[in-house]
Amino acid sequence: MNILEATKIHKSYGNKFNKQDVLKGLDVSIKNGEFVSIMGASGSGKTTLLNILSSIDKVSNGSIYIEGKEMTAMKEKQLAEFRKNHLGFIFQEYNLLDTLTVKENILLPLSITKTAKREADEKFNTLAKELGIYDIKDKYPNEISGGQKQRTSAARAFIHEPSIIFADEPTGALDSKSASDLLNKLSDLNQKRNATILMVTHDAVAASYCSRVIFIKDGQIYTQLTKGEESRQDFFHDIMKTQGVLGGVQNEH
Amino acid sequence: MSINHLILQNLKKNLKNYYLYVFALVFTVALYFAFVTLQFDPAMDETKGSIKGAAAIKTASVLLVAIVSIFLLYANNIFIKRRSKEIGLFQLIGMTKSRIFRILTLENFILYFGSLLIGIFIGFSISKLIMMILFKITGVEDVATLRFSTEALIQTVVVFTMIYFFIMLINFLFIKRQSILSLFRVLSSTEEKVKKVSFFEMIYGILGILMILIGYYISSKLFSGDFTTMNELFLAMLFILASVIIGTYLFYKGSVRFIFYVIRKKKDGYLTINEVLSLSSIMFRMKSNALLLTIITTVSALAIGLLSLSYISHYSVERLAQNNVVADFSITNKQDAENFKEALKINEIKYNEKMIDVIQVYANIEKIAESKIEGMNSDPRNMTIPVISDKAATSVELSAEETLFTGYNDSIQKFMPLKSSGQIELKGKNVVIPQKYLGLRKEYIVSYYFTSGGFPVAIVDETIFERLKKDIIPEIQKESTLYIGIDLQDEANLEEANDLFQNMTFNGKNDSRLEMSNNQKRNMGLIMFIVGFLGLTFLVTSGCILYFKQMDESEEEKPNYTILRKLGFTQGDLLRGIQAKQIFNFGIPLVIGLTHSYFAVKSGWFMFGTELWTPMIIVMLLYTALYSIFGILSVLYYKKVIKEAL
Repeated sequence: MNILEATKIHKSYGNKFNKQDVLKGLDVSIKNGEFVSIMGASGSGKTTLLNILSSIDKVSNGSIYIEGKEMTAMKEKQLAEFRKNHLGFIFQEYNLLDTLTVKENILLPLSITKTAKREADEKFNTLAKELGIYDIKDKYPNEISGGQKQRTSAARAFIHEPSIIFADEPTGALDSKSASDLLNKLSDLNQKRNATILMVTHDAVAASYCSRVIFIKDGQIYTQLTKGEESRQDFFHDIMKTQGVLGGVQNEH
Repeated sequence: MSINHLILQNLKKNLKNYYLYVFALVFTVALYFAFVTLQFDPAMDETKGSIKGAAAIKTASVLLVAIVSIFLLYANNIFIKRRSKEIGLFQLIGMTKSRIFRILTLENFILYFGSLLIGIFIGFSISKLIMMILFKITGVEDVATLRFSTEALIQTVVVFTMIYFFIMLINFLFIKRQSILSLFRVLSSTEEKVKKVSFFEMIYGILGILMILIGYYISSKLFSGDFTTMNELFLAMLFILASVIIGTYLFYKGSVRFIFYVIRKKKDGYLTINEVLSLSSIMFRMKSNALLLTIITTVSALAIGLLSLSYISHYSVERLAQNNVVADFSITNKQDAENFKEALKINEIKYNEKMIDVIQVYANIEKIAESKIEGMNSDPRNMTIPVISDKAATSVELSAEETLFTGYNDSIQKFMPLKSSGQIELKGKNVVIPQKYLGLRKEYIVSYYFTSGGFPVAIVDETIFERLKKDIIPEIQKESTLYIGIDLQDEANLEEANDLFQNMTFNGKNDSRLEMSNNQKRNMGLIMFIVGFLGLTFLVTSGCILYFKQMDESEEEKPNYTILRKLGFTQGDLLRGIQAKQIFNFGIPLVIGLTHSYFAVKSGWFMFGTELWTPMIIVMLLYTALYSIFGILSVLYYKKVIKEAL
């Protein structure tokens, strides 16, 4: 079953005299429980695509369905409602509130939906232990490391069990150890909880953790790779090759 | 690109940051200039009257400079913090610190003295208005003219140039202290890591509350005779000020944090959006907030206190005249009354006349006096008080055993507190008549000639009055035992009648209410005006500082709003949280400022007038309303920021 279905997405910036097309008629569909990443060179429109799919930005043309509901037709208020129930976010810059402790940050999405406190506590305990951040729950974001911040951010995205989680370069600001740590946790959560994750990255290593990779170039889908039964190593080489063909800025590792 | 070009470019680009600063400047300059113009205006000589008046204006202008400096320095602080990134960037591309300082100084110079000019112009245009208000209050019949005063100009320019150098000095220190990295980080640096509340902080909090209470306690004792010499009084005042201000700071720093901490701990991480935006945000900035809230509280308390005192004296002037003279004209001599009535008839002014016999008796009020009667030299067992018959008092019907006191105000209540009932004795030369005391009424019936300046009048039954009248004690009687009150039927003729009254030659002691109130106004008007002016300035300043601070905070928290909105909180959700936060930010200093000023006013109000409650409550309500405007403005600003956040 497709959890997200986007057809003929167009997005352009500027006025009609000076128009810049960023997305030119993309079709994306994601199945329940998939771990998909979007790759592409800088300026290919991957972040714009993510923003649009996650309702933060508006499409110029086209339609997006999440769990059968047309998101593109919703009003601001409905969108907020939709975001709080169905979407989770992980960002490169962590996007944690400096004023709140780790635990308070993670529990935020539950307080919007007014979940009972005991239930929230249970959810927090299991998730925080899975992600290895239970011990730092009373610390403030400026007291913990980048990897811990990103895991906190991930926990916040998972806690209310959204239909789909959007991750924008989640490993972008992390060192390689913390990055692989986080990615392992993400694919764990993906398998254990059957969570759907859509991730934007330009890091081939990060992408190799996914089950499917979508390459975009100049606002259009260039190709797709599916992991299938391959090992992660082989999948990584396939991705590197495709990136080479794509001819964008190669990522150096 | 030359430096000059850079400066101009900067000015243009930074207008958004500047407008706050420019506003603060123009506002304060205008205010100051208008005030100084007043000081140098020749027409003021009439209102100044004495050396005291001139001194009052001078003191006020010094105070004004002090507030203005604090205000400008604060605005400058916010302003330079906003531009720290830019300063860091200049350093990054290789400019020396001294060069950056020169650029800033020049930029500031253009801005500062530009605003100074505008401010002076605005101050000049409103000076006439202010003068008109002053004349109205002091009752001076003079036409306010628009006059440009060179002395005022020079004084304003000198004072503000000095402030300018001071600001530059602070900027210099700021630039000198900072490294490039820290300049980039200034905006996002946390002011406080909220850790566990330590034992010491709890002590601080409790200490703060204690200090405030001690300050209040001493203030209530200030004029009750415990401090006799001028030096002691002065020291006591200093002590109260210091104790209350430091106590307030500790209260914010310790108690408020402690209470918040307990609330937050109880939530165990599960915060609602309201708490996220109010509780945690306030705790996050508690360090700078504690200081700011203390300043705001102090300034508010000062403002409310000054405005209350000012209004108390204004309010009391009318009241005092009314209570002292009772009718439009009070006359104590029958012949005088005849002459005056004749004059009124000639001029066809209609009037009502009222005659009341007033005698003086000794009264024993020991049983109804509260504990001790302070500051009164007379013996409560043998007090001379005026007595009238219940026939003279409308709407009073007494039996032969009953006595009612009438004619008192808050001030008398303070010096001579009386119980609400009890037994008293009225004494003639030979008779002693026991009476049941029924209580006090506010209403004044005879003029202050008979009441020796403020004692209540006893109303007794007609029969008792006759008995006392027959047994009169000659040595304590006033020259006249007859009060004649003349009330005009049409108040429009009051001025004319007053002129007639003033031109007559009288034998007895006679008073005109209008004349009395005018005299009072002339005496108190200037002080009232200055105190009121300062109070208003304090109000606007404290409101502005809070508003600026909130503007600053909202910009700092904008990324947070972005995150929260991405998480699915609506603008409405966020705004509700912000409202809660603002209720705290504006409400707490207001409430504490109100209690501070309440005790301040209560300790010394009787030097300004005779009525306490009505004028003080009116001022407090008005202040709250005006002050709330700033709170509403800040919420509106937040609304804009939240809207732009996503």
